[in-house]
This record gives sequence, structure tokens and C-alpha cells, in this order.
Amino acid sequence: MFFRLLMESFRRQRRRKLLAGIAILLGTTAVTAMLALATTIGDRIHKELAVYGANIVVYPKTDLLDVKIGGVDVKPATGGSYLKESDLAKLRTIFWGNNITGISPELPVQVDATAPSGETLHANGLGLWFDHALTEDAHAQRMGAPALHPWWKLQGIWPHDSDAVVGAGLAAKWKLRIGDRLPVTLSTANGVTSGDARSFALRVSGIVSTGDKTEEQILLPLAMAQTISGLPGAVWRVEVSARTKPEDAFARKDPETLSPKDHDRWYCSPYANSIAFQIREAIPGAQAEQVRRVEQSEGTVLQRISGLMWLVSAAALLAAGFAVSAAMATAILERRGEIGLMRSLGASRSAIALLFYAETGLLAVFAGVVGYLLGSGLAAWLGARIFAGDGGAAEAVLNPVLLPVVVALALAVSIAGSTPSIRSALRMDPSAILRADA
Amino acid sequence: MKELPNFSSFDDQTRPDCAVIALHGVTREYVGHAGAVRALSDATFSIVAGEWVAITGPSGSGKSTLVNLIGCLDRPTSGQLKIDNVDVASMSATELDRFRADKIGFIFQQFHLIPYLSALENVMLAQYFHSMTDEGEARAALEKVGLGKRAEHLPSELSGGEQQRVCIARALINNPPILLADEPTGNLDAANQEIVAGLLKDLHGQGHTIVMVTHDPEMAGLAQRRIALSHGKVFCHPVGGSPVVTLRR
Repeated sequence: MFFRLLMESFRRQRRRKLLAGIAILLGTTAVTAMLALATTIGDRIHKELAVYGANIVVYPKTDLLDVKIGGVDVKPATGGSYLKESDLAKLRTIFWGNNITGISPELPVQVDATAPSGETLHANGLGLWFDHALTEDAHAQRMGAPALHPWWKLQGIWPHDSDAVVGAGLAAKWKLRIGDRLPVTLSTANGVTSGDARSFALRVSGIVSTGDKTEEQILLPLAMAQTISGLPGAVWRVEVSARTKPEDAFARKDPETLSPKDHDRWYCSPYANSIAFQIREAIPGAQAEQVRRVEQSEGTVLQRISGLMWLVSAAALLAAGFAVSAAMATAILERRGEIGLMRSLGASRSAIALLFYAETGLLAVFAGVVGYLLGSGLAAWLGARIFAGDGGAAEAVLNPVLLPVVVALALAVSIAGSTPSIRSALRMDPSAILRADA
Repeated sequence: MKELPNFSSFDDQTRPDCAVIALHGVTREYVGHAGAVRALSDATFSIVAGEWVAITGPSGSGKSTLVNLIGCLDRPTSGQLKIDNVDVASMSATELDRFRADKIGFIFQQFHLIPYLSALENVMLAQYFHSMTDEGEARAALEKVGLGKRAEHLPSELSGGEQQRVCIARALINNPPILLADEPTGNLDAANQEIVAGLLKDLHGQGHTIVMVTHDPEMAGLAQRRIALSHGKVFCHPVGGSPVVTLRR
């Protein structure tokens, strides 16, 4: 009998139920789309902002100390201290290792080359990774400067072995073209004595435009830079790109001053600060710093977009709640005779409430499931539109974890929306209803 | 604990020891914007098991209030109301719902059948809210009122008399000790009125207690006793006695 009454209410009040259902459907569609985007937006914004470079930079700790004699800074450009290239694999072993999406070590060297005219020229060289596997694993992520500097424009190919890429400015100055060979002498500036001096030819595999001082440099494979400088396995600076949580007041706290519980919470949050802290722990002698500009932009954008999404979702759900409330109020008004009769037949208030809540609940579950499917589709479409540049256009956004969340939200909204009407129905005097209905 | 009423002191008592409905000093007041309105004042009478009582009186005399109280749809402001020897004034709303399902069978002037349920389902609805549905019993109840062949019909496919008979079958389905009929023939033509009156006679003959509100002197004449109401006051008529107050429509 219960199901008979339930089904009949849907059959007889089709339009009213349809309107309430559409309201819930629209609400849950918006919420699903927003939640689906919100769960991926951090990664997507990180990808978008990755074009602005690394968000953490790692230096050797002693490099930060000034060396001054008579007020003159005599510290060499590299500061005279280095990190070990072999330590970089440890970056992936920290607590938030999987959030590290790019690593680019650097080693500056002085390059003395001989121009075709026989003139000796001096240039700054920079040893880099171009396409480096951090571990031996065949599926290991490829790391290097090109991935971290996607705005660099390259003609030719990135270098291997004894190749080099020349900055566009330097190439123009020295009249170098792709395929040219550049005789290079190991510079005494790199600590190589003239007695040890050797020379070899670098093949220009490409010319790169970077828009900064790198245009005046020669970019070499890191191993070659280490050979030229006589510093095997040395790295001066490492740029790191990591997926991080927007910075807030808690993120800026000094971990040393936090209670053990707060320290754990801080440590286990993917703030750029806490990732930098973990890098300092993992690599002895390393000083990791947050690049605030990129990090803050990412955080600000993320916070604003997330805020807007929650606002839209809350508004959609609120509207759905009001629509359900209006539909239920009208439905109860239409069925007040039925309610009066049921009460006179001995139906308890809870039995009548159960009937109406079952109606609204069934509607909410159905509309919630359909809203989830539509919302997932909408999220995929919006994702493709908003983040068209991140290569995730065709990404599926069907997240099964969202289904129970969305259905629960639909249920909560419909129950909250229909409760005032149901309560007023239960307060009605059955005898008055039956007489008024007569 | 309240002291039980001394039924022997009631003015109009007929076998108070067998009373299935007993009112003692029952008053019902409604508080509105204009202050308290006394709809029923100090009502004291009883109805014994198997008795057929007609409640009569003009509009505003307190009939509806009395029916609501006897039907456990309302509770007195003061006084004691016992149904089947249970004081309903002290019951909670939930207990009252349960008690109503067990003790009272309602027969309405407007039938109040659910339009989208068949005659059979309308009868089964009362079973559903009482305990559990039993189609066989519901069919038997319809057979009893002569509607065995119309069980699958919707109320809109039945005549007024047939709808009232479905209403009677629904009132009887849970075997309540009291049938509360509110103008049971008020909406029927003469032929159907006769059928329903016959059914009520049969039910009375089978020992059912019937409390019937009516404006119809003919229907009231079928009852063993008339309880007349005027301005919220009760005037009772003993069996076979002459009316204390004659009320005319």
C-alpha cells in the first residue's frame, strides 16, 4: 500500500514533481560540475601557471653567506659551494614527493670559445638537464629545463652529449647557425690551469629564445658543464615545480614554534613552505626557498575560483531547496483531504511524514543521479573550455566519489525544503480538514 | 490519579457499567483572537456497548466538537472522556492515533474515499494504517455491504450510495467497537438513503455501537436514543423516553 500511495503521488502530480525534480536536477548539476572542477582545478591551475616557472628554488646553504674583504664581495658567482646531483633523486622521496612535477638543476660555467675569425670569445654557459630520468625506472618522469620553461622557443633540438644550444642573442652576435661547430677551450675561470687546458668542439644543435639573460648564454648538458668546470656531480642551483596548496596564515607559521600536533598538520599540508622544509630535510646542506610570486599568484587564483564555485553551488542548492519547498507546499495543500482522512483512519504523524519524505527522497535520489551525470558532463565541457591549453580537454570528469556526495546533498536539500510544509501538514486538524473538504 | 466518575449519579444513564463511551463534565474551549469560546459545556452522558445513538442539534450547537472528541480527533479542555474504559484525555498524540485506529470506524457524509484508489484499496488503506493489509478480508467487507463485484472500481465509477457503502466497509474492516457516522445519509438520494439505513440497522443488529450525527429526523428515529445539543449543552433522551428539548431544522 505504501508503494502504491508513493507511485500514485508521482503519477498524479507529474507536473509538480517534474518542476521540483528539475530544480533539484539543476542544483545537483551545478554542484557536481563545481565539485568535479574543484577537485581538479588545483592541478589544472598549477599546469597553467607552470609556464611562469618553478615555485621552489634550492641552493647550497653556505652559498647564502656573503664573503666580503674590505667591503668588496669576493664570493664567486657560484658562491663556491655546490649540491650533489645524486642527491636530487631524494626530492621524490619526501612526504609530498609525488607533488613535485618538475626539477631543473643548473651549473654555470665560463666558456672560452674561438670564433671562426680566430678571435677568442668569452661567454657564460649553463649546464642543465634537458630530458633526464630521475630514476632508473623506465616509466620515470622526464625532468629538465625545457619542461620547467615552456615559454622557451627553440629552433633545432635540445642537446645531447657534446651538443649545445646557443641563446638567440649570442647566436646573432657570434653569427652562429644550427650545425656549426664551436671550438671551446676549458677556461681558467673554472679553476682549470693553463697546463691542463684542453679544447674540443661543441656542435650547435639549436638556438633558443628565452626573453631573459639566458639568450646570451650557451646551454649545455649538465654532465658536460661538470666536465668543463672540473666539478663532477656538482649542481649549483635547482629549480623545482610542485603542486601546492594556497598559502594561508597557517602556512606562514614557523614550524619550529608549532605544537607537535600543529607541526604534523603543517608538515602534512602541501604548502610550498612545508615542501621546501622537507627538501631541506632530505638534502643535506640545501637551502630551499619558495618563489613567492608564482606561488602567491597560484594561491590567489585558486582561492578566488574556489570561492566563486562554492558560491554558485550554494546558490544553486538554495534555489533548489526553495523550489522543492514551494512544490511540496502546493502538493500538501492539494492533498489535505487525503491527509485528514489518513489521520482519521489512525495514521500516525510519523507514517504520514514518512510518506511525504519518501516522495521527496525518491525524487531527490533520481534527480541527484541524473544531476551527477549531467554535472560530470558539464565539468568536462567547462574544463575543456576554461583550461583548453593544458592538454586535458578530453579528460573524463566522472568521479564516482562525487556520486554519494551529490545524492546526499540532493537529499539534504529536498528534506530541508519539504520539512516546513510537511510539519504544517502534520499540525493540521484532521476534523477541520475533513469538514472543509466536505 | 483522577477519581473515576460515579456513573450512577449521571442523569441519563443506561447501564453505565457497560458504557463504551462515557463523558463526565466534558468541556471543550477554543481560544481565538476574541477570547475563549466554549464549544461544548459540561457534557455528561454515556453510551453503552451495542447502543445506537443519534446526536442532533442545529449548526453551531457543538455536534462537531462532540464527534471530534468521541472520535479521538480532539481532547477535552476539562472533564473526563472514557472510550472503552480508557481515559483518552491523558493520552499522547501518538497513543491517540493508535487508539483511534483500534476503536473508531468513521463514516463520513462526503465519503472521503481516495479517488485514485479502487474500492478495494480504499478499504485496505484502513487496514494499512491499522496493522497490515489483507485483501481477502477487504473483499469480504465489500461483499458484506453488497459491493463484491465493484471492488476494482474507482470511486468516480460508483454511485453516491455505493461510495457510502465502501466508506462503511472501510469503517468496519478493523472491527472497531464504535462506528462514528457523521450525516451518513446527508448526501444520498432516498433510494440510497434506504440502503445505507438498512446497512446501519444490520450492523446494529450484529451488536455494533453506532454514534450517528444527523439532521434527518427519520434517521434519528432509527436510533435507540437521541442526544440533543444546543449552544454547547447536552440534552439526553433515554431509550423510549420523550425528548426533553425538541429541536427542529
